[in-house]
Amino acid sequence: MRPAAFSSPVLERSMTNQRLRQRGTRRSVLIADKMADWTITVGGLLVIFAVLGIMFFLAEVVGPLFGGGKVEGHRSYQLTAMDDAVFVNTDEYRTMSVRVSADGRVESFHLATGTPLVATQLDFDGHKATAVGATVQRNDVAFGFDDGTVRFGQVALRAEVLTEQMLPQGLRPLSETDLTDGEAVYTSIPGNQFRKVYLDLVLDEPQVVSESGAAIVAIDYRMGGSVERPTRSFVTVDADGIARLSRAETRINLMTRAATTNIRTSTLPALPEGIQASAVAMTTQADQVYVAERNGTVYRFDTRNVAEPTLAETVRLTPQGVDLTVMAFLNGEQALFIGGADGSANIWFRLQIEGAATLDGYKMVLTRELTPHEAPVTGFDSSMRRKSLVTSDAAGNVWFRHATSEQVLLQVKRDGASAEDLLMLSPRDDAMILLGRDGADIWNIRVPHPETTWRTIFGKVWYEGYPEPGYTWQSSSGNDTFEPKFSLIPLIFGTMKATFYSLLFAVPIALMGAIYTSEFLHPRLRGAVKPVMEMMESLPTVVLGFIAALILAPLVETWIGAIMLVFVALPLSLIAAAYLWQILPQSTVLRLQGVPKFLFMGAVVLFSCWLAYMAGPAFESAFFAGDLKAWTTGNIGSGTPFMFLLLLPLSFAALTFVFNRSIGHAFRQRLREMDKSKAGVVDALRWLAMLAAAGLVSYAFASLLAMVGYDPRGGVVDSYVQRNALVVGFVMGFAVIPNIYTLAEDALNAVPSSLRAASLASGATPWQTAVWVILPTAMSGVFAAVMIGMGRAVGETMIVVMAAGNTPVLDWNIFNGLRTLSANIAVELPESVKDGTLYRMLFLAALSLFIMTFCINTVAEVIRQRFRKRAFQL
Amino acid sequence: MSISVEEKSLTGVPVPEVTAKPRKLRHYGTDLAASGEPFLWGLGGALALGILLILGFLTLIFWNGVTTFWPKPIKVVTLTDGSLVAGEPRRDDLYRVGAEVLVTLPEDVRAQIAAKDGYAHRVMYRIGNYDLYNEDFRWVPDFVVEKVETPRDFFFFERQEWGPFIGTIQKVTVNGQETDPAALGFAGITSEQERARERWRQIRKIERSDIGVINHEMEQIRLRLRRIELRQGADSPELHEARLQAEARMAVLQQDYARLAEQAAAIRAEDAKFSITLAEVGGREKEVPLSQIVRFYPANDMGLLQKAGVYFSRWGEFLGDEPREANTEGGILPAIFGTVVMTLLMVVIVAPFGVITALYLREYAKQGRLVSIVRISVNNLAGVPSIVYGVFGVGFFAYTVGGSIDAIFYPERLPSPTFGTGGILWSALTLALLTVPVVIVASEEALAAVPRSMREGSLACGASKWQTIKHVVLPHAMPGIMTGLILAMARGAGEVAPLMLVGVVKLAPELPIDGFFPYVHLERSFMHLGFHIFDVGFQSRNSEAGKPMVFVTTLLLLALIVMMNSSAIYIRNRLKKKFVNAHF
Repeated sequence: MRPAAFSSPVLERSMTNQRLRQRGTRRSVLIADKMADWTITVGGLLVIFAVLGIMFFLAEVVGPLFGGGKVEGHRSYQLTAMDDAVFVNTDEYRTMSVRVSADGRVESFHLATGTPLVATQLDFDGHKATAVGATVQRNDVAFGFDDGTVRFGQVALRAEVLTEQMLPQGLRPLSETDLTDGEAVYTSIPGNQFRKVYLDLVLDEPQVVSESGAAIVAIDYRMGGSVERPTRSFVTVDADGIARLSRAETRINLMTRAATTNIRTSTLPALPEGIQASAVAMTTQADQVYVAERNGTVYRFDTRNVAEPTLAETVRLTPQGVDLTVMAFLNGEQALFIGGADGSANIWFRLQIEGAATLDGYKMVLTRELTPHEAPVTGFDSSMRRKSLVTSDAAGNVWFRHATSEQVLLQVKRDGASAEDLLMLSPRDDAMILLGRDGADIWNIRVPHPETTWRTIFGKVWYEGYPEPGYTWQSSSGNDTFEPKFSLIPLIFGTMKATFYSLLFAVPIALMGAIYTSEFLHPRLRGAVKPVMEMMESLPTVVLGFIAALILAPLVETWIGAIMLVFVALPLSLIAAAYLWQILPQSTVLRLQGVPKFLFMGAVVLFSCWLAYMAGPAFESAFFAGDLKAWTTGNIGSGTPFMFLLLLPLSFAALTFVFNRSIGHAFRQRLREMDKSKAGVVDALRWLAMLAAAGLVSYAFASLLAMVGYDPRGGVVDSYVQRNALVVGFVMGFAVIPNIYTLAEDALNAVPSSLRAASLASGATPWQTAVWVILPTAMSGVFAAVMIGMGRAVGETMIVVMAAGNTPVLDWNIFNGLRTLSANIAVELPESVKDGTLYRMLFLAALSLFIMTFCINTVAEVIRQRFRKRAFQL
Repeated sequence: MSISVEEKSLTGVPVPEVTAKPRKLRHYGTDLAASGEPFLWGLGGALALGILLILGFLTLIFWNGVTTFWPKPIKVVTLTDGSLVAGEPRRDDLYRVGAEVLVTLPEDVRAQIAAKDGYAHRVMYRIGNYDLYNEDFRWVPDFVVEKVETPRDFFFFERQEWGPFIGTIQKVTVNGQETDPAALGFAGITSEQERARERWRQIRKIERSDIGVINHEMEQIRLRLRRIELRQGADSPELHEARLQAEARMAVLQQDYARLAEQAAAIRAEDAKFSITLAEVGGREKEVPLSQIVRFYPANDMGLLQKAGVYFSRWGEFLGDEPREANTEGGILPAIFGTVVMTLLMVVIVAPFGVITALYLREYAKQGRLVSIVRISVNNLAGVPSIVYGVFGVGFFAYTVGGSIDAIFYPERLPSPTFGTGGILWSALTLALLTVPVVIVASEEALAAVPRSMREGSLACGASKWQTIKHVVLPHAMPGIMTGLILAMARGAGEVAPLMLVGVVKLAPELPIDGFFPYVHLERSFMHLGFHIFDVGFQSRNSEAGKPMVFVTTLLLLALIVMMNSSAIYIRNRLKKKFVNAHF
């Protein structure tokens, strides 16, 4: 209906009044109408798009987690030929690189342009460096020589920030941002400041290590300890196959600045005759030394006691017939990278294994087989910050990988490469440098999230220091070499656990309450109950969380025995009350029907709680050896009484089934012939007899299970923690009861009363009508109500944050804590760095939650709409 | 035959002899299985349990919230080992006595405990004097108590810092002169304390508002220079000129600052002459400046009227003052203010969008598959967890939109963010997004409830579509829309999880609305009642000390939300009645 239709010219022309005809619809009305049209349509669609936009935005933030890396730039340039470069270093800002040759020539060059800067000579006394070892940060270097001596030094690239005034005169430009005085590089940085990067060379006097004068073939060098107690350790292997370890510990007195150095040197247990050692690796604490032979055999020494090192294990880390080409630690020095001549790239952990046939109880275990190169692995460097690594092969392929996610993120190739090329990953993981004899290749790279793949997030991952693969969420720690562990599985599990326990509590109460309200409750009470429940729906959950954590959790901890008893006492006393009610004469029953009966029910509930409170300690003594919390640890008492309680309802149900199938019919026929009170008495006696029988049966089964050796502890019940799933289930159940209740009640109410009337008129009792007519008709609506309640429980945050203890564990134990997706976001997002891996992981958690609840709610909504349509048709 | 099948399905019992002996049917009056009494009691019991839980919960909060501020007596407990404990009894319970305690007890006490299944009764006292004891509370089991007294000379002092002090008054120093407290009397000390508080308020006014104004202006000058520097360059003549002006102004401000600081110092020196020396139950003394005492009363020597006076004065402080003692004492005015401003802002945002969408869905869009899909998604968006909206809010509003706003409009303040971090505007927007489904659903229902005949009548009179909506449909749907908005407000006011991510803080230095241009500071972070509950109850040093505060805050928040909900339900019910007659 367009507005123009109202100013129909036909209508106007039929009027006799000329002026009316010309008036038409006022222009302002037309404009207003048009504008409203537009605004409302655009506004309406905008809201819908905004709503969809949330999902796309979350997905967009999450996206980069699964993107690989990017090569942002590649430069390749000629350098003066250097025959046997043995060492390369690069500064933190990708400004300059330095290389050192075996005879001591040192040349630095500007990384962006390849411009040569410093060219000088270290005084090696005419000897040739046959081995080089560098610390983790690469600035401190140890050279091993062909005469059995070792020299320590620094080939460091240092950086400092200068103001514009402090710049020296006569600088020439290197690139847009960089200036040089021929030696150092000055880079302009924001805030009118300059960063000076310069080479710092130090070389100490030679120390004789190998008395026989045999050449040093492999060396490793570490600096560690703390500021007050720095340690310097190095390990060498000489051409005679003798390995030596030296550890110097300096104690600096902070008051006097006096330093005392304690050097301990030892020769490692003899290696086999004629060994060709190719590499040696040592940890910063100098408690482990690995010596690798060219054929792939690795000797692992336990050097925790420097004075008495032992050969802990001899193991082949490459397949038979394959030479070992690279052995080095990954960042953290927990994992050993082994490169083979067949291109294999594997990672080994040293794990404490029960029954390991080694001296120290540890064993080398192959944990990751990374994608192999096609040619022998020749170069390796590990990241200083993460578990990333770069490897190169003899064909000049350079791969950027990540150890934990086992993925190859970048693959580049250098033409004309040789096996002697030196490979380096820049300190900030933002450049790969491959240094050849007469040239260098630099790839500027950006790999923001190498550690995450679908497998690391949703699959089992074998993290360093763990005995086996598992699902772990551990996002932060105080340690530099700590590896964040991002598995969403424990969080999703926690979400499911919390939801399960809360629905276990909420669904029976809410649905039963809803059925009673819609079918049996006195209308006057119904008018009061419904709004109260609706109001509880918008109760702030932070209030519930506070009650749960600070009031309920300590209370439950003290009264756990009584609480457990309530689960038994409440249903039993309600049913007992019902049987007593049956005994009452008909006239009394009719008089008390309605509100008084409901009040009686409430009184029974209160009575059973009081009973549980009084009998709680006695119950605990009888069933849980007097102390339920101690009982859950499995040290005292037996599992039989608990299994008895669990099996009681089951055996009662089974007995009822058997009874109904066998003599139930005959029994009921007899009851019908009696008058009502007498029938009530007989029925109550029958119930008591069956309860006793069920008790006997369940006790028999529980004992049987105990004899077989089954103990429930260690599964659904285990050690007690104050903030646990029981408390969360209870309070979160309390939070979703109003949701489920109101929706289910609406669904039951929507069943046309004609059905109800027809059923009652046919002689069915109200109970029969409710169970066989109303409930089946409203089933889909009731189901939708449960689904919506579940959706709410899945996303509930504050209760879980406050009352669940926030421990991300995979454990169904009702007495243990949990951590849900939502609580995890609330706890960790405020502390995460924008665009970091944790930040994006938390967005992924939010997206998972969004998708989970969206699915649940959509299913519920579709079912509900269908139900509405059906109810309407009835 | 068909009858017997029907009966079977209804009673669950086969009735094989129906046709054979029809007379017997009449006697089947007592089929207990058909009435399902045990099941009925199960259903009714569940409902009763639910209602009892709700009532218990509300009573717990109401009782604790209402009684918190009522002055309680101070008990002095003599323990069996001769030591004394003085404090307000807070609560008592039965607890399981640990094995390591049991072995230290005499035989007869152990027997008593064993007779109670290993449980013993204990009372928790709020002993105060945190600066002396290093604890606020102490559990005293009954078996160590020798006797309990309520001495009349014990006072309860609320201090500006260190929490309450419980003890006796030893001496009072007035204007540097030691005075006998007995001669001064309670009234005399009270008037001295009130004068001291007045001085304290003066100092605070000088330091907060007067010096605050100066600091604000200095900051503005600094920012202006920075802006000019960014726009015109570091060595532009404009900057030079501005710098000269700024220096002149700064000098004036520095002078003002010095003068005010001097004033404050003078009052402080005067204030130092007034103090009170208190003694705790064990005899240790503590001298406290009189101005540091917020309130004090002889807990065991008060009439009902006096108690009521303390009670209402505490409520007054609670509702109208700032928090102290890491939020566990004092008032929550900033939190109330923040909650109200944020909620109102949210409604201002959510109302037009929600109503426009509802109008679109109900009046403009062609009812078809698309609209029903949209309706389903809007409906179940109400079920998306609030924390997800929080994540979206911080990622999109704060970092993306706010970051861009900072880069364009506030470059002089970078790298410290202005809009690029959590704030009240982003919180309101996030909550608006969260509550828009509620408003849409409610408004749609209200629009649908407007009888078709009214619309048609209006259109038939020649009104355009917009005129019809504006003058006929919307006014009639207004109560329903209002209901939706109020429900959205109730939901928004109680939501905490998303706010934790987008701008709520435990202690906001400045309110989002103040006397400095532009008066409304939407970028500021704010305090919130719900978050206050979380923070005090969960993150403070001593959650036990914060508990009363949390209960009162909870009561306030709950009252707010119950009020909003009841008004929504009331409007809805009135609306139903109105439309019964509205059909013509």
